[in-house]
Amino acid sequence: MATGAGACAVTETLRLVFAEPAAVPLAAMIVLVAAPNIVFRVMGVFLSRGLDEGSELLAFVRAMASALLAGVVGKLLAAPPGALAQLSFPTRIGVFALAIAAFFAFRRSLFVSLAVGEAALVAAFFLG
Amino acid sequence: MCGRPSRFGGRAIYSPGGGAMGGSAGVFWKGARDAAMGPAWLVGVSLASVGALAHDVGAPAWLAALSTPLVWAGPGQLIFFASLGTGAAGLAILTATTLAAVRFLPMVVALLPRVRGPKTGLLTQIVASHFIAVTVWVETMRRGPSLPVEARMTYMFGFALSCIAIATATTAAGYWLAGSLPGPIAAGLLFISPIYFVTSLARGAREAMDWAALWLGLALAPIMERFVGGGLDLLVTGVVAGTLAFLVRKWRQGRGLAP
Repeated sequence: MATGAGACAVTETLRLVFAEPAAVPLAAMIVLVAAPNIVFRVMGVFLSRGLDEGSELLAFVRAMASALLAGVVGKLLAAPPGALAQLSFPTRIGVFALAIAAFFAFRRSLFVSLAVGEAALVAAFFLG
Repeated sequence: MCGRPSRFGGRAIYSPGGGAMGGSAGVFWKGARDAAMGPAWLVGVSLASVGALAHDVGAPAWLAALSTPLVWAGPGQLIFFASLGTGAAGLAILTATTLAAVRFLPMVVALLPRVRGPKTGLLTQIVASHFIAVTVWVETMRRGPSLPVEARMTYMFGFALSCIAIATATTAAGYWLAGSLPGPIAAGLLFISPIYFVTSLARGAREAMDWAALWLGLALAPIMERFVGGGLDLLVTGVVAGTLAFLVRKWRQGRGLAP
């Protein structure tokens, strides 16, 4: 019984901390989000003599991290917050595709990509 | 200032209080100025966009501003605020931001040996590691080798602190602007992030796996958003698309193709 209740309290605490969106105060959340960045940077300091940059594990992690970041962008385009939501889904995809096409067409220039994307976006607002 | 005789006698062109650098304070300000003349504003603009996102998902202003010096990783901050907006569970947000943070390990490993001198203390290196993010990494990797060994760390501190100060201000500005600008301009501010982060991924792509991760992540996210609930969609996107991309690498290795 006692262990059951203990396990119950543990799972309840875990649920509060990890499953309920609003249960963790934002101040604690930002510290928790900052922590992994600090941990991996400091690990880098200690491993900076003799870590194989080309290891398969690091490649796997890099693939997941890149996919995650690209995924955030895909999600922002599919379900954007705020002012972007005023444009339709096909319009958002179209404007983004135009910006990326400009990036590849003009020697991978971030500036050209931003300029084309922003111009297309403002144009879409006034045309749509 | 604190110029020391270099262990690499012949290569040392750095003298205390003299030369073009004008001592370590001079090197620090040169780093700060170099950042403020351009690179810092690029980071600043991308984080202004993140600040606008924070506003639109209903996060408080202090959280947006504080996230820049504390996290100092645009992708991590973008993932954090995008996840907050969809009511993701704390564990899902943490796992996602942790995945995004792992890339700092190889970045620090690659950069630190280039900037530290033979006598750089451990604490200095740990503090320096917190400053390392994409822009500081790229610029210091590029400029570091042309500076004398003793000056590199100081230069990086000046460069990074300047970037962080400017970017913290622009994050707050982006937050504020998102609430006060007319629709099209606010949308334009928000739209900087997708372009900035996807093009920086494309610039950093070295092999087929990186491209696969980029395109699969972009394509899978809207699908997962529809079919995976509980705020786990981003994490599932990262793991599924990342694993598929890694399998592309394995498949190419098995075929004996270039990675």
